[in-house]
Amino acid sequence: MGSMFRSEEVALVQLFLPTAAAYACVSQLGELGLVEFRDLNASVSAFQRRFVVDVRRCEELEKTFAFLQEEVRQAGLTLPLPEGALPAPLPRDLLHIQEETDRLEQELRDVRGNRQALRAQLHQLQLHSAVLGQGHGPSLAASHTDGPLERTPLLQSPGGPHQDLRVNFVAGAVEPHKAAALERLLWRACHGFLIASFRDVEQQLEGPVTGEPATWVTFLISYWGEQIGQKIRKITDCFHCHVFPFVEQEEARRAALQQLQQQSQELQEVLGETEHFLSQVLARVQRLLPPWQVQIRKMKAVYLALNQCSVSTTHKCLIAEAWCATRDLPTLQQALQGSSCSLSLAGRGWRVRASLKAPAISLVCLSACRVPQSEAGVSAVVHRIPCRDMPPTLIRTNRFTASFQGIVDAYGVGRYQEVNPAPYTIITFPFLFAVMFGDVGHGLLMFLFALAMVLAENRPAVKTAQNEIWRTFFEGRYLLLLMGLFSVYTGFIYNECFSCATAVFPSGWSVAAMANQSGWSDAFLAQQPLLSLDPNVTGVFLGPYPFGIDPVWSLAVNHLSFLNSFKMKMSVILGVTHMTFGVVLGVFNHMHFGQWHRLLLETLPELVFLLGLFGYLVFLVAYKWLRVTAASAASAPSILIHFINMFLFSSSPTNRPLFSGQEVVQPTLVVLALAMVPVLLLGTPLFLHREHRRCHSRRRQQPDKDTAGLLDLPDTSLASQGSDEEKAGCPGDQAEAEFVLSEVFMHQAIHTIEFCLGCISNTASYLRLWALSLAHAQLSQVLWAMVMRAGLSLGGEMGVAAVVLVPVFAAFAVMTVAILLVMEGLSAFLHALRLHWVEFQNKFYSGTGYKLSPFTFAVEGE
Amino acid sequence: MLEGAELYFNADHGYLEGLVRGCKAGLLTQRDYINLVQCETLEDLKIHLQTTDYGNFLANQTNPLTVSIIDTEMRKKLCREFEYFRNHSLEPLSTFFTYMTCSYMIDNVILLMNGALQKKSVKEILVKCHPLGRFTEMEAVNIAETPSDLFNAILVETPLAPFFQDCMSENTLDELNIEILRNKLYKSYIEAFYKFCKNHGDVTAEIMCPILEFEADRRAFIITLNSFGTELSKEDRETLYPTCGKLYPEGLRLLAQAEDFEQMKRVADHGVYKALFEAVGDGSGGKTLEDVFYEREVQMNVLAFNRQFHYGVFYAYTKLKEQEIRNVVWIAECISQRHRTKINSYIPIL
Repeated sequence: MGSMFRSEEVALVQLFLPTAAAYACVSQLGELGLVEFRDLNASVSAFQRRFVVDVRRCEELEKTFAFLQEEVRQAGLTLPLPEGALPAPLPRDLLHIQEETDRLEQELRDVRGNRQALRAQLHQLQLHSAVLGQGHGPSLAASHTDGPLERTPLLQSPGGPHQDLRVNFVAGAVEPHKAAALERLLWRACHGFLIASFRDVEQQLEGPVTGEPATWVTFLISYWGEQIGQKIRKITDCFHCHVFPFVEQEEARRAALQQLQQQSQELQEVLGETEHFLSQVLARVQRLLPPWQVQIRKMKAVYLALNQCSVSTTHKCLIAEAWCATRDLPTLQQALQGSSCSLSLAGRGWRVRASLKAPAISLVCLSACRVPQSEAGVSAVVHRIPCRDMPPTLIRTNRFTASFQGIVDAYGVGRYQEVNPAPYTIITFPFLFAVMFGDVGHGLLMFLFALAMVLAENRPAVKTAQNEIWRTFFEGRYLLLLMGLFSVYTGFIYNECFSCATAVFPSGWSVAAMANQSGWSDAFLAQQPLLSLDPNVTGVFLGPYPFGIDPVWSLAVNHLSFLNSFKMKMSVILGVTHMTFGVVLGVFNHMHFGQWHRLLLETLPELVFLLGLFGYLVFLVAYKWLRVTAASAASAPSILIHFINMFLFSSSPTNRPLFSGQEVVQPTLVVLALAMVPVLLLGTPLFLHREHRRCHSRRRQQPDKDTAGLLDLPDTSLASQGSDEEKAGCPGDQAEAEFVLSEVFMHQAIHTIEFCLGCISNTASYLRLWALSLAHAQLSQVLWAMVMRAGLSLGGEMGVAAVVLVPVFAAFAVMTVAILLVMEGLSAFLHALRLHWVEFQNKFYSGTGYKLSPFTFAVEGE
Repeated sequence: MLEGAELYFNADHGYLEGLVRGCKAGLLTQRDYINLVQCETLEDLKIHLQTTDYGNFLANQTNPLTVSIIDTEMRKKLCREFEYFRNHSLEPLSTFFTYMTCSYMIDNVILLMNGALQKKSVKEILVKCHPLGRFTEMEAVNIAETPSDLFNAILVETPLAPFFQDCMSENTLDELNIEILRNKLYKSYIEAFYKFCKNHGDVTAEIMCPILEFEADRRAFIITLNSFGTELSKEDRETLYPTCGKLYPEGLRLLAQAEDFEQMKRVADHGVYKALFEAVGDGSGGKTLEDVFYEREVQMNVLAFNRQFHYGVFYAYTKLKEQEIRNVVWIAECISQRHRTKINSYIPIL
């Protein structure tokens, strides 16, 4: 939990990776997922980087993989998920994988090409036989009978030289959607010097490329003359028709047809063999591909990470800059040491050197690295370097805290080492939710639902479910669990279970005593629809209910006004407490960042302002609850009037003072609170301005010393502890040099206005607790009265009632879940979220950081 | 047409307009060009293009990369987008799209006829045809021997048919006649397109008419320039000028009389084209007239995106994308031929 309070210390480390070991080291780091690499070559475009060739090789492989995968998918098979640990392959393994892949690809392409060719051939044969056999048999017969008739006049008209002219044929098949256009074009181009007959092929043929069945159209064109013939051929070419030789004699055609059928049968056998072989190749792909894909993906990631490194001047090692949690530094060293073991075989070693701000760690590093350094000449170094950039935020979560951290991060990832609101959110969020959702029954249902999820969380079926809505609920199961639990608690406070009060303890009010004391007669009772219980009569009010609201209130007509008063005051009390807590949390920020002036100039005025005005209001509420008894209720002073008068510096004669000395306390508080506004507005800017001036003048006095410090900076390679300190001091100077008074003023003015106005509007905003809990209670009451009670009072006879209650209860249950649990729950969740993000977190949390996203091979969501 | 496209435009064409604007945002920026120019090999170029909207469009190329592969693939991508727009369009936008394809169809027909004249195989030429101007009967073009043949047999069913009215003649198709045919076709095409836009009215007319006027005038200038020193008579030349431009009628008449570049420049002296001719560099160093016209076209097309609710964005996007393809191809050519001195003379799209 220590790490929950604020984000972990993250250091910028420089890794000197010997060129030969760089790959192994980075791949090891990827397995561990400890460090986030910084891009040192941001100005270099993607294709000018060092390892672009390797990346390209991986991409080539991935391209081949994609081809193989697509083939497998087209064959209707699926790739199994890879199993076991698959480290990034060594460069020499890559060659092996590449070879294998190329071979597989070649084989697959060959087989596929073969199959394609065979299919095309088969298609051709089928079309041919369709053209010959089907379709034009009758038309040909017809043309045979018509032939002489048609031919005679035509033959006669041209006369002598064309005696030997005979009808020629072009037969073929065309895709159906082109048939009409072809027919028209033929007609237009050849002006009727031909007779064309088109016919659909009876059975559908599979296309050789797509494998989709299509109905082709066969055609037979009879024409005279060579010119026309050439034209027709050109046209049929342009429509990509399949044209087949067409013999005129029917016997010859029949023989050809038989031959064709035989051929196609043989082809089909060959095709079957090819398919068989293809499935064998695919099975091999299925077995080999998934692990390779993972490995090559890792390899590419490693090279991309290496591309972010810069090269040392001697070209002996790569320099990487990375963010790493200081807690993980020893692991990092160990990991690099592990990879260096394999390295030492190659006659190399590595060294870790760390220095600067964290002397303890640097000592560890130094001692850890000395030994291998003495063993080998070339060294790999982990080097901690100072940095002006804000480090990334790292907060480790477990499955319980993850959802709460998620709520905070959704608003904004915290600045580095800022106070993290998540640990408090674990309690306050479910509590504020429950205040709005207070109902024992509903809370219990929610709790049980969440509990079921928590108990089943290790089941693989639940874990791997892909449904997005389900996943959302599942991620927040611990949040739901606590929300349900707290709702049960507030439900007991409100004394509501599905909107009905429960009398766990005997009520503190006695109707019998009232009846006896005031002597209600039967006639009086019959006349009066409403009776009032007077707590001042002895024996009527025996004392407060032990826990929560007295169940007798659920019978009272003024139930609502009583609850409203209670819930409104409770909301204000909770709100002021929550906000004060937020302001107090700011103290830890100021202390941690060493901004002590802000404690005095910001937190203190803020606290005085908040507590002086609204803290006093809370005090008034509590005081009145405790001090005003039932006896003096009639003449009880109004808090509202008092509070308004406080700001007007007046008093109303009709409103009795709550306590003695109130006339003095109230104006003092207001004056004090208002006096804090200028302090808040001017304090920090003026203080910073003075600091800046002092710093400036001091620097002018000792310019020589400063330049000495600057001269020390370049030799960082052998930098001593002392010069590091000077260096650490430097950023501060730099920051002060950039000090602009007007900007600071503006910033502080905005902050002041926001805080002061925010105190009022945020307090009012907490009234949503009251409003939503009221809405929830009313809605559940309506549902109970309109559905369940109506159903219960319906049946006179036993059987009827039983039958009617089944659908009535079903309706009640469905509406309870849909409206009260899901809809109301979501709305209460949303409001609780707002109260945390806006009202609570703006008191101390800036949320302008960014997350540490380590370089890791782990797949998201696993 | 009704005025006030704001009221009803989105009902029919809003989706496509949104889409085309999104596509326009994917055009290569100045920064991309700077990176592309730095490339050493075509592979580098490919890697850089992968980071842009082109994505993995070259990923499935197994053969070594050539400029023509890049060109074809880029055109294919444009074609895919265009087909998508066209398939989802309603009238009158779909007619607008048909008009847009017509110019490519004319080019393809002429290309095929030239090929037939030089006895090249159809397949060889088909590769060079622009995919946007493809149509089924295209390949049968070479069976025609006269323009009327061409019309009657092949083009009568295509959208090009109406443009043929002026070009029906029984002349044999030799090289000059084909060129004249092309220009006549283009003239009637651009006039018809202009009329369509004008009749459509509204913002579409306001945007498209200037673009088409410019296109018409550009053609007039180019025809004049190309006719110097050929056997084309001045009267014939005048019949080829599209008459919907800003030069019509006086400018065209003067242009018909022009005999060299200087005279042509003088024609442009008074109108909007003065600045363009002034930008033309002389001799080796400066820009060519063609480049200047392209720049102007790009400028007009980019400006078309400043107005909403009109069809001009589709035209402008296609033209800009074409210019982009020309640019990338130019850069790729320079890279592959190691001719880096002129690599920067692409036309940036603003």
